[in-house]
Amino acid sequence: MTPIDLVVNGERRSVTVGDDDLLLDVLRGLGHTSVREGCGVGACGACTVLADGHSVSSCLARAVRYDGVALTTADGLPAADDVVEEFVAARAMQCGYCIPGFVLMGHELLAENPDAGAAEIDAHLEGNICRCGTYLEIRTALENAARRRREATRTEKEPA
Amino acid sequence: MTATLHRPRDLGTALDLLAGLGDPMVFGGGTAVQILLKQGVLFASDLVDIAGVPGLADLVATPGGLRAGTMVTLRRMETDPLVHDRAPLLAQVYGRVANPRVRNTASVGGNIAHGDYRLDPPTALLVLDARVELSSAAGARHVPIREFFTGFQETTVRSGEMVTAIDVPTQPLGGAAFTKLSSLAANDWPVASAAVLVTAADVGDREIRIGLGALAPTPVYVAVALPATASDDDAVDAALAAVEPLIDPLPDVRGGVAHKRRLGRVAVADATRAAWHDTPHDLRGTPGEEAIDDRRPTFLRRHRRH
Amino acid sequence: MTVDPRSSVATAGTEPGGAVGERWTRVDARAKVRGELHHAADEALRPCLDVVVARSTRPHALIESVDAAAAKAVDGVVDVVTGADLHALLGDAIFTGPAFADQPCLAVGKVRYVGEPVAAVIARGQAAARAGAEEVAVGYRELDPVHDVDAAVLGAPFVHDVLRPSIVFGDLAHLRDKRDTNVNYEYTLRHGEPAEPPPGSVTVSHEFWCPPTHHVPIELPFTAAWRIGDRLEILSATQTPSYVRQSVADLLGIPLGSVRVRSAPLGGSFGAKMYDRLEPLAAALAWTRNTAVRLAVTREEAFLLTTRHGCAVTGSMTADADGNIVAADSDVRYDTGAYADVGPRITAKSGMVASGPYRIAQAHVRSRCVYTNKPSAGPFRGFGVPQVTWSHESLVDELARARGEDPAAFRRRNLLREGDVSVVGTPMHSADFVGCLDAVTDALDWDSPLHRPTGRYRRGRGVAVGIKAVLTPTISNAVLQLNQDASATLMISTVDMGQGSDTIMAQIAAEPLGLPEGSVRVVTADTDVTPYDTITAGSRSTYHTGNAVRRAAEAMRDKLVDIAAARFGVPATDVKLTGDGLVSTQTQESASIPELLHGHFGARGTTLTSEAEFRTTWQPYDKETGRSPQVTEHWFAGAAAAQLTVDTMTGRVHVEHLAIAGDVGRAINPAMVEQQLTGAAIMGVGHALFDQIVFDEGQIVNGTLLDYQLPSIHDVPDKVTPIIVENPHRTGPFGAKGVGETTIIPLAPAIANAVRDAIGIRLTRLPLTSERILDALAAQEEQS
Ligand SMILES: Cc1cc2nc3c(=O)[nH]c(=O)nc-3n(C[C@H](O)[C@H](O)[C@H](O)COP(=O)(O)OP(=O)(O)OC[C@H]3O[C@@H](n4cnc5c(N)ncnc54)[C@H](O)[C@@H]3O)c2cc1C
Ligand code: FES
Ligand code: FES
Repeated sequence: MTPIDLVVNGERRSVTVGDDDLLLDVLRGLGHTSVREGCGVGACGACTVLADGHSVSSCLARAVRYDGVALTTADGLPAADDVVEEFVAARAMQCGYCIPGFVLMGHELLAENPDAGAAEIDAHLEGNICRCGTYLEIRTALENAARRRREATRTEKEPA
Repeated sequence: MTATLHRPRDLGTALDLLAGLGDPMVFGGGTAVQILLKQGVLFASDLVDIAGVPGLADLVATPGGLRAGTMVTLRRMETDPLVHDRAPLLAQVYGRVANPRVRNTASVGGNIAHGDYRLDPPTALLVLDARVELSSAAGARHVPIREFFTGFQETTVRSGEMVTAIDVPTQPLGGAAFTKLSSLAANDWPVASAAVLVTAADVGDREIRIGLGALAPTPVYVAVALPATASDDDAVDAALAAVEPLIDPLPDVRGGVAHKRRLGRVAVADATRAAWHDTPHDLRGTPGEEAIDDRRPTFLRRHRRH
Repeated sequence: MTVDPRSSVATAGTEPGGAVGERWTRVDARAKVRGELHHAADEALRPCLDVVVARSTRPHALIESVDAAAAKAVDGVVDVVTGADLHALLGDAIFTGPAFADQPCLAVGKVRYVGEPVAAVIARGQAAARAGAEEVAVGYRELDPVHDVDAAVLGAPFVHDVLRPSIVFGDLAHLRDKRDTNVNYEYTLRHGEPAEPPPGSVTVSHEFWCPPTHHVPIELPFTAAWRIGDRLEILSATQTPSYVRQSVADLLGIPLGSVRVRSAPLGGSFGAKMYDRLEPLAAALAWTRNTAVRLAVTREEAFLLTTRHGCAVTGSMTADADGNIVAADSDVRYDTGAYADVGPRITAKSGMVASGPYRIAQAHVRSRCVYTNKPSAGPFRGFGVPQVTWSHESLVDELARARGEDPAAFRRRNLLREGDVSVVGTPMHSADFVGCLDAVTDALDWDSPLHRPTGRYRRGRGVAVGIKAVLTPTISNAVLQLNQDASATLMISTVDMGQGSDTIMAQIAAEPLGLPEGSVRVVTADTDVTPYDTITAGSRSTYHTGNAVRRAAEAMRDKLVDIAAARFGVPATDVKLTGDGLVSTQTQESASIPELLHGHFGARGTTLTSEAEFRTTWQPYDKETGRSPQVTEHWFAGAAAAQLTVDTMTGRVHVEHLAIAGDVGRAINPAMVEQQLTGAAIMGVGHALFDQIVFDEGQIVNGTLLDYQLPSIHDVPDKVTPIIVENPHRTGPFGAKGVGETTIIPLAPAIANAVRDAIGIRLTRLPLTSERILDALAAQEEQS
């Protein structure tokens, strides 16, 4: 057992973990049940978390490796989050089980490429499965979020 | 039952562990190891996690190209400007592996050491003539990637050794293309993939270099020389003739031998046609990158959606 | 607006409205996006022991011994329980199932498929339980297995020696004991007199195959159970809490009232989380050991819990010289695996529509439910109907082509119209097949010439129509509580699994009362609180539970009117409920709902309660002819049209445009209807092109998401056009019917018909993988 500090959504949590404990299980144990197991093999994206802004399948990640790393889970996003807002507005959810994973993938993409269009969005979401088939709404939500960010930067740049 | 995890903080310790432990295994990105553990088919006594070893995640320019430490992630290879600049084909191929999450975690060394015959990156590393650095407590040796894959799920890595880096020469001028074909869902593992690079040859005017994935028990490489005046069709015919004896697919749920062979020919033909077509007439004069730059979106459309 | 003759007659005043037909946002939209909605496995539980089962490695074998010593020695393992142990405690009640009591939660004496639970390892922690399960050693004596459905119908080996009906559901009350057969149920339809085909007629016939598939809801199955004194409580990801309550009470021999079953919002289900899944084992262990247990399974194990029926159909169809379908014949064999589950109902209900939504003079159907040594097959979105639709919509297409006629025009001529009596004997109402067909073909510009390149890529268009009967008879109840502040709490046992029932039911409840968006809260199914509901499945909830909810809301309105009449001192006929409250038309006196209830009870925070039930009845089908004048409460009608290209080099199909339509009676929430139409269609694209379970000697070879193929965003058609067709149902709540399955039914044949159009080849086996397409192209080339 190893004591580690997980920095989850900005909050430092000291936990003791086994060497082979998965980040997925440790985060769920800390109450972050927006992180979910859908496949256990990196193929569905339900367990997505961001580690230093990079998406990771927490079902394949050992918790010991994330000592001190800044982690983001969907439930820890700020109350007014542009990607969340656009998902709600575009009705990008059915059962909703897969959606937190898509939201975090969207965050990663837009942070890297605010100019992302449909092709880039699709390429980035290629490993996330929505069995309910909400892909079109999800794509719309991220197109709108990208537009919103581009507009925000434009207004910021405009002289007051 | 469960393997003991070691987390060395320097290379010497890591190599000593590999030399001294019973049945050790390197833990790189862990994306493959974790799945094998879950499936109950991995029987190592010890896992040596090399994430904490300094220097192994360095990606640097070298006089002849670039050098990627074993722990550089696939995603970094896909997105780093250095790779885009020196080996755009490589960046493109890394960008087609699995999905962004796996690419964020998986390492270049773990990827090749995994030795799966369906892996994408080896196809590009083969045509680029990359060199693998293997280190052990006894020292380092360098193995051409073309000699790295020795059999079905077998590589040249010896016990006590680990991959420490991959050296990739700058991509020579000429057209390059990668085609990955799946036979079921679009984002599935490939049933056939081919990286093709057309470049100046020692004999003949040009060389078509071909790296194949998923089409034989290991990734395989072949090259064929052709005069620059040859047509696209001639180039495709020459490429197909060259790969024919090498295609030796394994049947599975994604298709039988005949089907994979068929798709292998399509992958080679499509990639060769595109690469040959994009090759400027005078390979010495024209900057080759022009034909290659920023083509990922077109690629996605052309090869993924159909 | 159609008037509902069965609903209570409104007192004075009209419907306040404002809810039905609106695009209300899902009640849980934000919670879902942020992942804050709690699913079953997210609930904080009392300390539970973890249970993992050791599974059979043989398809068909007698259990000679179970050696648990090594498992018990694993650190953290508390005990190991076998089927024999439970059988000794519970007797034959251990065998459960919605149709036949044939499935034990742990194998007793014999295993019938690879992956069947043999022993339960109870441990402190999942890891220990899993490690223990690895150590259970089972001795087998192998029996001959039968894997193929057509081999199984012929005779021995038999998967079960004797069959006993379980008698839970009304529509399955006629099942009888059986022995020495693998055919556990057979449905026959005979309509019209067989006759020689008239001169000039054309007949087409083919063998069709739909493979088994898996639902793969992204949320994994989960059940926890614990005993408190004489009560058993279960928290489970289930679509059927009311069924589970009865099933578990029977299993344990305890009163219904002693069993509490709670469900939770499901992360998808599509039929996977119904009837007896993990619940019987969890209940048996918790009860007999007086402890709390939790069963969480991996994706790989989930593949073994239930599947969609593989299905073989031998079909033929005949059209006369005028282009009228005069005869149809179908021989349908459903592979139900080792346990019948609800296969008999699927066999009957799909058999009824095996000849399609057409006017046909003479129809014959033989539909059989067959055991094999494979994991059990159960309900799956579409309930067996996609499998027979695959046959009839391929046949109709070939028939049109054989006559040189446009496949859409040929269908249009033959489709059933309002008032027509289908071959099963029941008339059509609110099932506008022609409207659906026209909608999807118009969306594709069907009558304009198609650009057909002749090179590597070939383009084609195809269409298909689907029909399904809603499950009948069934029962729904609703309890509505109006809170003094004019918010409401609705108690129903419908489970929201993504179809949006919590939102739709809130809209239905709000409509008669004029309540605004966000004011009605639906209580998650809990058999201690929410009333009986047959099942949440088969697209039945909007109609059935919706009717109960509407009646409860109308009863509430009547109560309010009565209270207001007393307060105003006017007759009830003089009181109107408006969006602002209750008003006397005579005196103009008014009171808001909060004022009225405050006045009535003399206290704040009070509640007013109403309740209602809704039941449908049927006339059981004749056992000889399979016909009934009222076999179902209503019909679903849907259509799909696809335009696609086939890459003749790779065999890949690329769908350019997919149009889908369903007659939903009336859309309670059009946005959610469109999502259901689209979502089902995308799932259908997977079924058409690559989604299937592959077996080798009864063993699943692609049972992980590394190998099992699901549509990703790259598999979505370039364009999807969902179209809502509305022909209000005379007894639907505000005219509404359900929609969850409507577009998955015709989807695969629409795509296959488009492939046929593109490359001139009729493919009869699903899925249409690139390998099958290239093989067919190669054969075509050889022939020419
Ligand atoms: C969902 C999914 C989809 C995938 N799809 C694709 C795909 O389309 N194309 C594709 O190419 N790949 C695909 N992959 C495979 C993926 O590329 C590999 O899992 C990954 O590259 C392995 O890298 P890793 O660093 O995680 O290796 P690890 O899991 O750490 O190790 C893999 C193997 O290499 C050994 N190893 C690791 N590092 C070293 C070292 N430095 N020296 C010696 N041995 C070492 C380990 O002992 C182990 O045997 C997919 C994987 C997943 C999970
Ligand atoms: S659970 Fe981790 S990717 Fe599916
Ligand atoms: S919304 Fe249900 S899986 Fe995506």
